[in-house]
Amino acid sequence: MTEPPMSQGLKQLRDRALADGGFGIQKGTNFRPDATAWAIMALQAMGAEAELREAARQCLAAAQLRDGRVSISPDHPEAFWPTSLAVLAWQGAPACREAQARAIAFLLSTSGLSFKQEAESIIGHNTELKGWSWRSATASWAEPTAMAMMALEIAGNGGNPRLAEAQLLFLDRQIPGGGWNYGNTTVFGQVLRPMPESTGMVLSALGGRVSRETVQPSLAYLEGSVTHLKTPWSLGWALLGLGAWGERPASAQAMIEACLARQERISSYDTSSLALLLAAFQTTGGLTSLWQT
Amino acid sequence: MGLTRREFLTACAGGLVLGASSYLLWKEARNRSWDERIFIVKAPDYQADLKTAIQDGLRHLGVSPAAIRGKRVLLKPNLVETIPGAVHINTHPLVVRGAVEAFLSLGAARVVVAEGPGHVTDTLRVLDEAGLDEILWEDRIPFIDLNRENGYTVANAGGCSRLPSLTLPVCLKEFDIIVSMPKMKTHHWAGVTLAMKNLFGLMPGSFYGWPKNYLHWAGIDGCIVDITATVRPQLAIVDGIVGMEGDGPIMGTPKPVGVLVMGRNLPAVDATCARIMGIDPYRVVSLATAEGWLGPLREASIHQVGETIAAVRTPFLLLDKVPAQRRLRT
Repeated sequence: MTEPPMSQGLKQLRDRALADGGFGIQKGTNFRPDATAWAIMALQAMGAEAELREAARQCLAAAQLRDGRVSISPDHPEAFWPTSLAVLAWQGAPACREAQARAIAFLLSTSGLSFKQEAESIIGHNTELKGWSWRSATASWAEPTAMAMMALEIAGNGGNPRLAEAQLLFLDRQIPGGGWNYGNTTVFGQVLRPMPESTGMVLSALGGRVSRETVQPSLAYLEGSVTHLKTPWSLGWALLGLGAWGERPASAQAMIEACLARQERISSYDTSSLALLLAAFQTTGGLTSLWQT
Repeated sequence: MGLTRREFLTACAGGLVLGASSYLLWKEARNRSWDERIFIVKAPDYQADLKTAIQDGLRHLGVSPAAIRGKRVLLKPNLVETIPGAVHINTHPLVVRGAVEAFLSLGAARVVVAEGPGHVTDTLRVLDEAGLDEILWEDRIPFIDLNRENGYTVANAGGCSRLPSLTLPVCLKEFDIIVSMPKMKTHHWAGVTLAMKNLFGLMPGSFYGWPKNYLHWAGIDGCIVDITATVRPQLAIVDGIVGMEGDGPIMGTPKPVGVLVMGRNLPAVDATCARIMGIDPYRVVSLATAEGWLGPLREASIHQVGETIAAVRTPFLLLDKVPAQRRLRT
């Protein structure tokens, strides 16, 4: 009898664990903090492998730098976007409370670059609003800002003024017809196109923070897109984004199972994408609902 | 006996003139030493026999079967975003298939397709929506999402931007031949996006972000040159069957040209493509920066094989509101 897709997915994830508990982007590859954090989140959501989770959390803590950031590699402290993922991965783990607190402090002390917009600006959004960036000394973009919002929210910092500003940033960068992309709206007067993965992530971050009216065009865009999505990152985020607003399709679990099965066709998904799918299977809400009992 | 002020200034001026002259002579000598072949073949549409066209191109470029046999080949197409039915945004899947089949027919040990789109964190979605997923599945060709790869850092071999070093995907070390396979397009920050600019997609988003804005802030034109100088791809195959004009690289309009352009030197390939597009390559900052030391732009140093530029020249629409496109016209 064929093993159910979710069981196969869990086994696949478990097989990627390194000897010290961390995870790489694929089986047999070196430790990566983003992959490790996502693996922890998926295992947590599935209530699986408690010991492995703890070991993985300790690996993340060992990768943390003195100022609290968790970077993509020790040689690249400037690429600190995995810090938000680490905050989420450490959530609810007493042994990692201090590491999480330092990471939160780092997030609150850093932002994307902001600058005064010229009167005749080529780009359409407000460049003075601050969110979060992928790496130091670069601008604020949609996905790192969304992840930072969710991380800070779930760790008890939902009332911080930084999140209020990030909220304004998102409403400013919502594409006129609905949806978000990486973080631009218009360039040289042309309205850009939304992307399902970015839209899902932002909607997941904004769930419960703004009125439905303000994001209705984006919800409509995502509802129209989700049935066509076959790839894990977009599908996972689309389902979480819709779930955050109570609009998760009834066929969500079947869609996830079909997406897992597609690995036979393409190749095995990277750890973050695999874990996102497994986590998305476990909830009907947004990402932060995974920590809400 | 010391110099008078006048003598000193005269000596300085003379030194400057001598230095400038020496530089220009060196540049001229360097340019004359290039003799790059660039192959242009007509291909009216994507149903043409692109495998044979590419095989012919390799032969005309002096790439022998012995040079390919047993080698590991990485094909790097340009995948950015998708619109259903649009053929002018991304390197067409059938051009990629043609290249795959051409290299395999010449005995390549391994052919892999790899890309790291600059705006999209879900590379597999772009692969699927661009139709390339289907081709790779049918031909059993592996795909690498360069954006998720682990990285290794090397010194910047170009020195034209503010980047002290470049972080490249570790998988590049596994390949003997890297082929840049861009789409022939205008670009609203760089003027044009061709074989050199296409290499931005090698830079992992996990290290550079989405978009790879850091590269723009370090000097986009310099980064284009630096990545080319550091990675040194061995070949370029440009999809100019349907290109993009206007507000490229995503929001422009289709521009049928009906050609593939191939070469072993990326600045020479791009210079030829620029001329086909009705653009003066010397007005493209990255090309002008690369001239001489990385490759030739002068027509006298580029040996055109196959079709002539004049036979296929198709002036692309350039937008005055886009600073990088102003004054590009020949």
